[in-house]
Amino acid sequence: MSSKGKLRQRNPQPEASTSNYEYDQVQEDEHHADIYTSPKSRSGIEKFFEGSQGSIIVVSALTALAFALRFYKISHPDQVVFDEVHFGKFAAYYITHQYYFDVHPPLAKMLFGLAGWFVGFDGSFLFENIGDSYITNNVPYVGMRALPAVLGSLTVPVVYAIMKESGFSTVIAAFSASLILFDNAHVAQSRLILLDAALIFFMSLTIYSYVKFRKYRYMEFTLEWWTWLLMTGFWMACTWASKVNGILTVFCVGVAVLFDLWDILDVRKEGHTMDYFYSHFLARAGGLILWPFIVYLSFFWIHFRVLTQSGPGDTFMSPAFQETLAGNELLMSSHDIYYYDILTFRHKDTKVFLHSHPDRYPLQYEDGRVSSQGQQVTGYGHNDTNNHWRIIPTKSLPETGRGRIVRNNDVVQLLHMPTNTLLLTHDVASPLMPTNQEFTTWARDDYTRHNDTLFKIQLAWDAPENEPFKSKSGYFKLIHVPTKVALWTHPKTLPDWAFKQQEINGNKNPSERSAIWYVEDIIADQYNDEPADRDEDQRPVKVPKSMNFFKKYIELQLLMFQHNAGLTASHPYASGPLNWPFMISGISFWTDNDTQKQIYLVGNIIGWWTCVVGLSVFVGIIAADLLARRRAMDPIPDSVRNRLWNNTGFFLIVWGVHYAPFFLMNRQLFIHHYLPSHLASALIAGSVLNFILSDTINYPISYATSKTRLRPSQYADTGFKGLATVLGYGLVLFMMFIYIAPLTYGTPGLTGEQVNSKRLLSTWTLHFAAKKTHDS
Amino acid sequence: MNRPPAVAIDFGTPDSPNSSSFEFEEVGYPDPYHQHQHQYDPESYGGRANEETLPLHYMSEEKARRRVRAGAAAGNGSDFDGGAAVSGNEKEQFEYQEYDDAGKDVYNKPKPYNGQRISSGRGPSQPLPPPTTITEFLLQNTEVIVPVVYTLLSCWTRFHRIGASNTVVWDEAHFGKFGSHYLKREFYFDVHPPLGKMLVGLAGLLSGYDGSFEFKSGEVYPDTVPYVAMRVMLATFGVLMVPLAWFTSVELGMSQWACHLTTLMVLLDVGWLCISRFILLDSMLLFFTFLTVFCLTRFHNEQFEPFSIDWWVWLFFTGISIGCVTSVKMIGLFVTALVGVYTVEDLWDKFGDTRLTVRQQFNHWAARVVCLIVVPVLVFMASFKIHFLILNHSGPGDSQMSSLFQANLEGNDFYKNPLDVAFGSRVTLKNMGWGGGLLHSHVQTYPVGSNQQQVTCYHYKDNNNEWNILPAWNDKQHDPEGPLRYLKDGDIIRLSHVPTGRNLHSHTVTAPVSKLNYEVSGYGNLTVGDNHDYWQVEIVDDTKRGSVGQVHSLTTRMRFKHVALGCYLRAANAVLPQWGFKQIEVSCDKENNRKDAHTYWNVESHWNDRLPAGDMKLYKSPFLRDFWHLNVAMMTSNNALIPDPDKEDILASKPFDWPFLHLGLRMCGWGDNQIKYYLMGTPVVWWGSTISLGVALLTFAVYILRWQRKYNDMDAREWDHFLYVGKIAFFGWAFHYVPFLIMGRVTYLHHYLPTLYFAVLMFGHVLDHFIFSSRRFSARTKAIVFGVLVSILVATFWWFSGVAFGIDGPVNEHWGLKWRETWNIYN
Repeated sequence: MSSKGKLRQRNPQPEASTSNYEYDQVQEDEHHADIYTSPKSRSGIEKFFEGSQGSIIVVSALTALAFALRFYKISHPDQVVFDEVHFGKFAAYYITHQYYFDVHPPLAKMLFGLAGWFVGFDGSFLFENIGDSYITNNVPYVGMRALPAVLGSLTVPVVYAIMKESGFSTVIAAFSASLILFDNAHVAQSRLILLDAALIFFMSLTIYSYVKFRKYRYMEFTLEWWTWLLMTGFWMACTWASKVNGILTVFCVGVAVLFDLWDILDVRKEGHTMDYFYSHFLARAGGLILWPFIVYLSFFWIHFRVLTQSGPGDTFMSPAFQETLAGNELLMSSHDIYYYDILTFRHKDTKVFLHSHPDRYPLQYEDGRVSSQGQQVTGYGHNDTNNHWRIIPTKSLPETGRGRIVRNNDVVQLLHMPTNTLLLTHDVASPLMPTNQEFTTWARDDYTRHNDTLFKIQLAWDAPENEPFKSKSGYFKLIHVPTKVALWTHPKTLPDWAFKQQEINGNKNPSERSAIWYVEDIIADQYNDEPADRDEDQRPVKVPKSMNFFKKYIELQLLMFQHNAGLTASHPYASGPLNWPFMISGISFWTDNDTQKQIYLVGNIIGWWTCVVGLSVFVGIIAADLLARRRAMDPIPDSVRNRLWNNTGFFLIVWGVHYAPFFLMNRQLFIHHYLPSHLASALIAGSVLNFILSDTINYPISYATSKTRLRPSQYADTGFKGLATVLGYGLVLFMMFIYIAPLTYGTPGLTGEQVNSKRLLSTWTLHFAAKKTHDS
Repeated sequence: MNRPPAVAIDFGTPDSPNSSSFEFEEVGYPDPYHQHQHQYDPESYGGRANEETLPLHYMSEEKARRRVRAGAAAGNGSDFDGGAAVSGNEKEQFEYQEYDDAGKDVYNKPKPYNGQRISSGRGPSQPLPPPTTITEFLLQNTEVIVPVVYTLLSCWTRFHRIGASNTVVWDEAHFGKFGSHYLKREFYFDVHPPLGKMLVGLAGLLSGYDGSFEFKSGEVYPDTVPYVAMRVMLATFGVLMVPLAWFTSVELGMSQWACHLTTLMVLLDVGWLCISRFILLDSMLLFFTFLTVFCLTRFHNEQFEPFSIDWWVWLFFTGISIGCVTSVKMIGLFVTALVGVYTVEDLWDKFGDTRLTVRQQFNHWAARVVCLIVVPVLVFMASFKIHFLILNHSGPGDSQMSSLFQANLEGNDFYKNPLDVAFGSRVTLKNMGWGGGLLHSHVQTYPVGSNQQQVTCYHYKDNNNEWNILPAWNDKQHDPEGPLRYLKDGDIIRLSHVPTGRNLHSHTVTAPVSKLNYEVSGYGNLTVGDNHDYWQVEIVDDTKRGSVGQVHSLTTRMRFKHVALGCYLRAANAVLPQWGFKQIEVSCDKENNRKDAHTYWNVESHWNDRLPAGDMKLYKSPFLRDFWHLNVAMMTSNNALIPDPDKEDILASKPFDWPFLHLGLRMCGWGDNQIKYYLMGTPVVWWGSTISLGVALLTFAVYILRWQRKYNDMDAREWDHFLYVGKIAFFGWAFHYVPFLIMGRVTYLHHYLPTLYFAVLMFGHVLDHFIFSSRRFSARTKAIVFGVLVSILVATFWWFSGVAFGIDGPVNEHWGLKWRETWNIYN
């Protein structure tokens, strides 16, 4: 409900214009002071650091330190830690070319695979359990861990560069960078085979590129402008392709672009034409939607090109997809099914066979409901002749040939071989679920219930009408013709009267995803013989089929979304988003009982709380400015305000967009999901420190052209107090880092008392804590 | 594109000789915050005497109060050519000089008076000349007649065949039963606040029902239950929805046609109709939701004259209405959010108005805090106060409340508990945290962790809550004949579960929900056990007696410390999954937090044959304590209503199923001989209103983009009005819809019914904007469109009216009702 305020501003009020452009603002307020306009009047410290030499020295020192902290004892522990179980395994699959399935896009995992390949990893070790030794399995794990460590280290200079490009002084930029540099959580996360280091690195590059792009906004459609536009798109695509959370980076650039386009659309600004707007719009659509999407797709293309062999991911995919993988079971042993074949049916999710035996349902169940007392139909886990069913047609068939093949949507009857009865379901409640229908069988020669024995074979994956029904690959639902229920089972077992076998019933929701079955085996054909190699002729032998890349991609992407939403199981170290900024709880990555060593993911608590304070102060400044301007007061100089709103405001959007969506997610969440937002909050903290130390900024910082009107420039000057504050604070930060470091590096081992002393918040669930005395 | 307005518009410039005649339209236009001059020119009346020949225009007063401009079609002589009614920002100055009063009722003008305002409301109106024909009478009184006609129609729809089904339909099973509890004055527990159910009880009282019927689902009402009278009384709330919708759309400044359409949609929706005809809370919830919106719009229209009597009245009534709606169902908080957002925006505007003095600013804030926060909270609390006053007998909901509260209920015999607790006593233990229950165990085991017997907190009385207090294994064993040993501070005890014989036990296994705590389980039996069964009694204090040495039943607050692990027995509001029957988890908390009431326990029931029965005088349980306790318990049970993946609930639906009416809901058995009710909506209303939301957003987007390019599609007042109505409708809809997407609890189709109102308002608004107030169409076109829409509406209603009036006979014989594949209306 904010448009009202905007509307009011339609009255011409030139001095209160909401323009975002720095150059058309006339500095007419009383804050304007000569001291800031001349670079010569700056303090000596400031002059030194603002020079390129000073800046290079600072950034080199920060980077060197970052490498040192991230590579220190990187070979420890020589065991599989936390999610290395997953990502190490995926890297191994790239090396062995086996197809796998994961909810995250492939880029970061491919990089790990590449790193492993470089250092000579053969992919034979599968990272099965946390704590498995790398040494005994001969895995060159250091090389693989070096990749995230390098990316994590390089994040520090990128953060520095973002702040420099945003017009903050060197010391302020160093402050923001040190919040990342000395952060235990960032360090711990970048030393292991995990995706987050790549995600955060690419995300910081996206921010950097976008800031650069905005600085070229007066040089529209020049080479530099295009370069940085495309760079933004490229890094954005890399972020998204590294981890599924990277889509948030795409959203936050999207939000910033919408603000930007909204300004361009404004006719008051130099009276742009609509053509001008369209060209800007199209440039961004191309550079920030189309181009990143191509980059993103190309990673999937490589993914499919590399993973050509059958592997653990096969069963997630559709039969058509599976047949593109070499050595896949469907490809190897899938046969057409003919009428009167004897088959065994298996449930896709619980792997039980469709089973029946001469025992009958008890007339009355424990809860007082009654049954039909028909023959039991159950789900049974083992092979048995009671699993054999013959498929009977309901239409006339030719004597021989392919006309006898069962096809999609055919209506059939299923004959239970040992008892010579037909499968039937009717409107009687099933033993365990009053809402679902009971399945039973009916004598073959009794035609009174003929209609209730009719079932439709409905192939999954929206198969075409005449698709043949095949063993193995023919995932299908068995829909009862008169009542439309689907043959369904669930892991609950029946009582002793059914030998604890699994209940089978009719699910009234025919779109139920777990109602899928397949034919495990063709036992015999109509003459009770072994089925002959009836379809060998039409299938080229064992050669993987090809499939359109886009079809593959769409199928995989949809599955990724579904499974990502499905990760709802609880985890002992999962935590709610509200805890994250305050570093309330960490994650135990790895422990070693003998030496009492442990890796516990926890941030540098001083750094994190500084970021929270920075965020609150920034929101406070923004709110105070809004309130003051609402009362027609104007406390902040225009250039400073514009910087706060447009630049730091962008950081706030980055923070918010990477944080808020987690509140809506039902999946399990961990503290490391906050790390991208933490990086954004470090940027905000730097800006706030600048605002507190000095009421100026470097201005202007955008690249001017002949068209732009030049305005008196200003220079930020934090002077000696800035340097002293940042140095002093950096020292405190470093000491806190060292204090928590044993938890980050997992070495040295700690005694119980030491663990207690490291447990700065009572909510940190560290291992090996000494028992507390309860006398206090 | 800078199109000049097609017709000059004016709302009364003081100099104009045609200055308006009414007090209420005079005030506020030029400058709402300053005393304004009343400039009546008696000459002008004389000069206009011959205007008596003008056609008598219906409803001129109402129109004028809503500041309706004459639209382009004014000359067409239609009664409905109101054009866009503009309310909203009265602060704007007007440039327009001419006043259009072509449609004014000249008889209706008051004599000028001495310029002193009598009140802020309407000015004194002159009696009208007696009507000479019926048409004239109708026209003069349309303002009254239209809502009266709608109310009568509404009565017919709501009351028609209301008693047809003589069985307990759907949730009548719940709410009828709760009503009975009020009549029997027995304390019960439910997740909803009490106001609605008290009104059910009142309806029962008024109709002479004695509260004896159990309201079992599907049962036939006996002669002693005047169910028809009760249904009629509750349906009256549903009847009143229709006139409220009329008045609200009038207050929202819609054109006459749009007002009629909106009202007709409310009248003819079978969903609202169906839900209003039974003993349910929904009719009241809907009524108060509608009332809140009406009060809000009414208040909005008083904004041009702050702090006048009317302004206060409507602000106050808004608050009362918010209090009522939240006291019926917590869903009412959503409409409260709408009022909240409206108020925040309003105050933000005021905050930016530098002409207001600090004192005025403060008054604005204070008025809203008092009327929109304090008053609703008082109403809400008052409903609980009355609830407690009525339900003063012991009943099925006792155990939800604190022991002290229960002891004060009539029929409760806690006061007879032996006073001092001793070894060998059989007790139940009550957790003293907000919403705490009784320590409970049952034969089912944990499927996770240790797989030992479950220990939970349970809110109903049952043998499984009973525990024996026994000495530790290594202590002298309890001798039923030996000397009595009273339980003292610091004693180490073993708690043995009476029905199963298991001992209360804890070990270093993580608890199933609160992962930071240890699991508490039932272990061993009367002879088997270990030192993990030991609990040390730590007395916190005694609420009645000062001494803390010895444990007394009811009044002693104590904690149980696990001797081996040093943790404390705790039950917070963590709910176990289905395997634990959604009961409250009990765990052992490693943190020793002395202030944590969730680790406090007291002895509730106490049996010991060797001790004399007590005769305690009890403290009254303070109201605020009980109020808070009950609300926490309600919250906890509400959160436990999550969809159960193991059990398919055929009635439940997902929010995405609602806007396009993907599903209906069978409200009763579907046998051929039963009268069947199917909860669904009139499809055109639901589909049309949902589409209109999208259209409105799209329209807004187009306008705002054009605005950024400086196209003037509307003048400021039109734009403000377009936004104001749109915001009320859109935000009302979003606040009532989006939370259901996020909420974990199980949702049903009827949760959309309050939401639908805002969609319908948006439908009216969109139609009004594009057709009925548009200058593009002639009155004739508008009339045709109106006629077509109304016929479709009436026809669809007629087609589907059976689902609300009750379907007789085999449902499959009623042809053509299944408009969507997914409706399970047929067998």
